[in-house]
Amino acid sequence: MNRVLTGGALIALVFACALFAPLLATHDPNEQDLLNILLPPSFAAGGDPAFLLGTDSLGRDEFARLLFGARLALLVAVSAACGAALLGAVLAHIAGYFGGWIDWLIGRAVEIWLSFPPVILSLILMVGLGTGADKVVLAIVLVDWTRFCRVLRAEVLVTARRDYVAAARLAGFTHTQTLLREILPATLPLLITLLSLEMGIAVIVEAVLSFVGLGVTADQVAWGQMIADARTSFAEAPWTLLIPMAAIFLTVTGCNLLGDGLRRTLDVRLVTGRA
Amino acid sequence: MSILFLVLRRLVTAVPILLVVSILLFVALRLLPVDPAAMSMPPNATIADIEAKRAEMGLDKPLPAQYAIWLRGAVAGDFGRSIQLRRDAGPLVAAALPQTIELALAAMLIASVLGLGGGLLLFHLRGGAVEAIGDVGTTLLLSVPEFLWALLFILLFGVLLPVLPFIGALGPQFIVPRVTGFLLIDTMIARDSGAFVSALAHLALPAAALGIAFSPAIMRVLRSSLLDVYHEDYIRQARLRGIGEARILLHHALPNAVLPTLTLMGVQFGFLFGGTLLVELIYSYPGLGNLMVDAVRNADLPVIQTVGLTYCIVVLMIGTLVEALVLVLNPRLRGR
Repeated sequence: MNRVLTGGALIALVFACALFAPLLATHDPNEQDLLNILLPPSFAAGGDPAFLLGTDSLGRDEFARLLFGARLALLVAVSAACGAALLGAVLAHIAGYFGGWIDWLIGRAVEIWLSFPPVILSLILMVGLGTGADKVVLAIVLVDWTRFCRVLRAEVLVTARRDYVAAARLAGFTHTQTLLREILPATLPLLITLLSLEMGIAVIVEAVLSFVGLGVTADQVAWGQMIADARTSFAEAPWTLLIPMAAIFLTVTGCNLLGDGLRRTLDVRLVTGRA
Repeated sequence: MSILFLVLRRLVTAVPILLVVSILLFVALRLLPVDPAAMSMPPNATIADIEAKRAEMGLDKPLPAQYAIWLRGAVAGDFGRSIQLRRDAGPLVAAALPQTIELALAAMLIASVLGLGGGLLLFHLRGGAVEAIGDVGTTLLLSVPEFLWALLFILLFGVLLPVLPFIGALGPQFIVPRVTGFLLIDTMIARDSGAFVSALAHLALPAAALGIAFSPAIMRVLRSSLLDVYHEDYIRQARLRGIGEARILLHHALPNAVLPTLTLMGVQFGFLFGGTLLVELIYSYPGLGNLMVDAVRNADLPVIQTVGLTYCIVVLMIGTLVEALVLVLNPRLRGR
């Protein structure tokens, strides 16, 4: 339970930063101040109180960029995770419930997808799709649906053999009704857990793609972009690298703690096993 | 089931997978709004020149015919010509691949040692107050991807405490004749101990960053399979026979618990091989990853296609190897 609370609190904090970014930031995140480049954080020696976390190599306010970067990170994380979950879950339920040739087909598709390292696949997709936050989301959905499909299919397979599912069919439920009202409630805990973990993965992928220069467009503020910018200046200004790294780490940790905690809390087998 | 049969079956299933992957790659890359013919011509070429080049490259034919041309070449070992570097894509990939394999193998070694050691340690600490700390510790470790480790190691061991190099694969003062393409082996063949140490030092940070990122998952699975194995009767039996705890752990429990761990490591190593791309990029390490990123930035389609396919082949090979290894180590699967 502690994990759920800690993870939830971390994510809530990032959400608050993203939501109130225009109120909290004292500078425009893209505003350059070439007289004040690479300033250390205000609490360190030589820091300027006007720039809370210092400035980068173009004199842009690190704190403002951090806050506005949270917006993009969360936007991508939530929409990509939901998209991948939706696509993966629908295919998993169809494959596991109906079996037969459609199961075979979906199984082979998953196999082909898994023979590709995810980083490589998303890079190739980004070449085809072009840059932009919406393209990043699409690339993550198209790469990571297999994570949901593989795990959920096994769960659907087990659930579909249960007596109450057969009873529902005998009672005259259609396939859609059976799937939505009998099977989905049983697979939902796993789905929510995977969703939380996927949000963490999406944050990393977005940072990686922006770092490579294939993620968001240049005017959008992203943590991966901050890291890429800091590569030229980290020797004299390590904080420009550490600040976005810490932001990514905290967000991913939040998602992982939440997912891990939810798995322990929601998994009926684990709960009864402990009692 | 014999190992030979398994390898043969995997080879047979790999062919359709590779075919489908190559078709998907081909179609995805041809949908791009870039014109390889126009890109491979000098800027003062006329429209007629470009059209002639298009016909020469076969780009005026329908997509299936284009794919057939590519496939016929690929089977014969001709993967097309890099638009940007004006060299054949096949040799370019062959030159970069050994470096990436060297990096991946070193990272796998580090991940295995850390993962298995950490798993045993976590299991040893079970039931105590320290267990919770170890538990949270692995969750935190799982939240640090390889590219954050890579950046952190540069800050720690390259800048803050400058002990290890973090650019390239070899010090610029060394020239090693290329024999195998594997730097560690080539420096040994050249009997150049200075270059060998330099290559090893250059390998240390990228391999460590990659290895440490993939170790916590191994730790967790080993710990939980050890916990499962300890419920088995033969463990209690061994205790009743008065066998020491250390011997039970290492001789009775570990050989069984390591099997699910190995299967997971197979999957992990597939991901790890993909992870080399980011680490290579961060450390400017001359391997497949940097070749790929360069090709992607310049829309160099033949190279992207060839490198993508190479990654795919290596991942399938790693999967087969791990499956064969599990078969060797698990007598229960044999003879079925």
